Amino acid sequence: MADWIPIALGRDVPDGVTRAVIVDGREVMIWRGEDGVAHVWEDRCPHRGMRLSLGFVRSNALNCLYHGWQYGAGANCLRIPAHPDLTVPPTIRANAYAAAETGGMVWMSADGASPAPLLPEATPVISLAIEAAPERVLAALGSSTAHPIAALPGAAGLLQLGWHRVHAAKTMLHATGTGADIAAATAQLRALRQNLEQGAAA
Amino acid sequence: MSLTDDRAALDQWYTLGALRDFPVGAETPSRLLGEDLTVRRLSDGVEVRAAGRTLPVRTDYGHLWTSFGTPEHALFALPESQEPDRRWIHCGPVRVRASGLRLVENFLDLAHFPYVHTDILGSEAHPEVAKYEVEQRRDVDELWATKCEFYQPKAAAASDEGQISKYMYRVVSPFNVMLYKTPPTAPDRWDVIALFVQPLDEAVSVAHAFMLVIDETSTDAELSAFQQMIFVQDKIVLENQRPSLLPLQPGRETPTRADLSSVLYRRWLKEKQLRFGTEPRTDLQSTDLPNA
Amino acid sequence: MPKLYDYVLSGSCYKVRLLLGMLGIAHETQAVDFFPGREHKRPEFLALNPLGQLPVLEDDGLVLRDAQAILCHLANKHDTSGNWLPRDDRFGPVMLWLSFAGGELMAISGARMIAMLNYPGDLVALQAKARTALRLLDDHLADRAQAGGLWLVGPTPTIADIATFPYVALSHDAGIGHEDYPAINLWQRQVRKLPGFVGMPGVPDYF
Repeated sequence: MADWIPIALGRDVPDGVTRAVIVDGREVMIWRGEDGVAHVWEDRCPHRGMRLSLGFVRSNALNCLYHGWQYGAGANCLRIPAHPDLTVPPTIRANAYAAAETGGMVWMSADGASPAPLLPEATPVISLAIEAAPERVLAALGSSTAHPIAALPGAAGLLQLGWHRVHAAKTMLHATGTGADIAAATAQLRALRQNLEQGAAA
Repeated sequence: MSLTDDRAALDQWYTLGALRDFPVGAETPSRLLGEDLTVRRLSDGVEVRAAGRTLPVRTDYGHLWTSFGTPEHALFALPESQEPDRRWIHCGPVRVRASGLRLVENFLDLAHFPYVHTDILGSEAHPEVAKYEVEQRRDVDELWATKCEFYQPKAAAASDEGQISKYMYRVVSPFNVMLYKTPPTAPDRWDVIALFVQPLDEAVSVAHAFMLVIDETSTDAELSAFQQMIFVQDKIVLENQRPSLLPLQPGRETPTRADLSSVLYRRWLKEKQLRFGTEPRTDLQSTDLPNA
Repeated sequence: MPKLYDYVLSGSCYKVRLLLGMLGIAHETQAVDFFPGREHKRPEFLALNPLGQLPVLEDDGLVLRDAQAILCHLANKHDTSGNWLPRDDRFGPVMLWLSFAGGELMAISGARMIAMLNYPGDLVALQAKARTALRLLDDHLADRAQAGGLWLVGPTPTIADIATFPYVALSHDAGIGHEDYPAINLWQRQVRKLPGFVGMPGVPDYF
C-alpha cells in the first residue's frame, strides 16, 4: 500500500456513522465518534472476526454488532458485555491504521511512519466508484498513480481529486473543490466515469 | 472446486434436506463437500449418485442423509423423535456464504443473543453469560454444553413474556448440532432445535433448521417463521465474519469464558484433523499437517 | 383493524411493516408460510391475491395487493401530516421512486431469492441490474445531499423512502455490499433513525 491514501470524503462519514471501504483488496472501516474524530481500522473484530463496519457508535466508542464488544478511540477493548465485571486485558484490541483528515478527505496509512499530508480546506463534491483501473482513471485525469491527489482545472472550478484503488479494475475518486460549481463538477466527473466504463467494456 | 480429499470430512453423515423436498419420481441436483450429486427418489427408496458411484443413504428423522466415506459412527440418536406429542417443523433450507463450521459455532453461542436477536432471545440489559459446563462424551463422540441459562424476552413463538431459558447444546458431528431448551408451555420438557448443515463448498453452506417442539397453540407457519427469523438474523453475522473459513490457528481470534463451547468445538475439530471449512494454518510444520 | 398477510423474510412485506410502525397504525398480522410451505400459491391465498404474491392488506373490506399500492393506501388514509404522500409538486417524484422501488430495485429481491433460497434464475445478470439500480439511487442521493436534502423527495421522509429502503438494506443477502455507495450509506442511517423504525432479519436493530 502507498503511504497515505485518501479513502473517503469526511462529509460522507458524519458523527456516529460507520463506513466500509475496500482499499487495494483489504476491508477497512471508518467510524467517527461524537467528538468528531475519524478512525480507520481493519474491518474485523478480534473476537470472532465480525466486520466492524456493521457495528454501532455510542459516544466515542465503536461496538461490534455480534457480541457488543466495545472499543475506544485507542482501539483497545473497553467492555465485553457477556462478562460485565471483567477488566478487559489491554492486549485485546482492534487493528487500527493511522488516520488523518485533511483537504476534506479521510486518509489512512498502514504504518503512519511519515506525517500525513496537509491540504487546505476544500468543499466536498462527490465520492464515486469507477469500474476502471486506477492507472486508466488517473491517466484520463492527466495525472498518474504516483500521486495521491490529482488536480483538475476546468469550467467547473479547480477540483482536487483524491483516489484509492479498490482492486485492480476499480477506482474510487474523492472530489473536493475550491471555488467550484459543485453540480457542474459532479456532472463532469460522472461523464468521466461513463467514458472510462464504456472504454473498459469496449 | 471438486470433492475434498479431507478424510475427516468425507467420513461423516450429512443431510441433503428434508425428505419431503425430494418428490417421488423426480431427480434433484444437490451438492456436498465440493461435489455435485443427483438425488433420485424412487417409490421404494432414495438413490444418491456422485461421479458415477452410488453413495450410502439413510432416511432418519424426516431427512435424507448421505456420506462420501465410511462414517466411524452410526447416525446420532434422537429419542425425542419417538415422542408422539412433538410437532415436527422443517424450517426450509437457507444458503449462507460462510463455512458450515462458522454456522455450528454461532449456533453454540449465547453471548450474541442481546445484539443479534434483540428483544427476542436476549436484551442489552441482560448480556451476561453465566458459567456453564462443557464436556466431550467420548463414548458417543459428542460435545455437550449444559447448565446454560439466559434471560430471554421472547424465547419461542408461543412466549407472552420474558423468561430465564435453560439450554443444553449437543454437537453430534462437525456439521450437525442441536439444542434443548425449555418450552414456554411445558417447563418439564425440552424442545429440540437442530441445525443440520450441508456444506456445499468450504465457504458456502446450506442450513437445514429442524424442530421437534411442544407447542399446542402456534401454527406451523408461526413456528417456522419464528425459527427462520432467528436464523436469518444470524446470517448477516455469518456472512460478515472474516475469514469466512473457521480459523483454528491459536491467536487468530480471541475467545473468552463465554466461548467455552466454541473452544471445545475447535479443539475437537483439531483432534479429528478436520480441514474442510477451516482456514489453512501457517503455524504447523508440513509434517504436522493433517493428511499431508 | 387493518390486517397484513405477512412473511417475516419478505422485503416487500417489510415496506408495509415499516410504514405501519412509523405511522403507529394498530394492526394485526397473519403469518403466511411463503417458504418452505409456498402457502401463497394455495387456493385460499390466491382468493385474496390471484397473483400469488405478498404482501396483502385487508382494511375495512378493502383487499389490496402490491406493497407500493398498500403504502399509498395507508398514507392516504392514516397520515394526518400529509407529508408521507404529499399532494403538491412532490407527488410526481414520490410516484417515480415508488415505481423504481417496485421495478428496477426488485432485481435485488430476485438475486436474494436465488442466493439465499436457491430459487432458479440468473444470479449474475440480476446482480448487474441491481448494481445499476443502486448506482442510480446513489447518484440521486448524492445530488440531494449536495443540496442539503436527506430524503429522496423534499424536506421530509415520504413513502418513497419507505418503499426503497428494504431491498437496499437487504442487498448484502444478494451478495452486494454498500462500499461503492457512500450516499446510500448515509441515507440508510437517516431512515433507521426515524421514530417508529423497526428492523427485520438482515436489517439489524443496532446501527
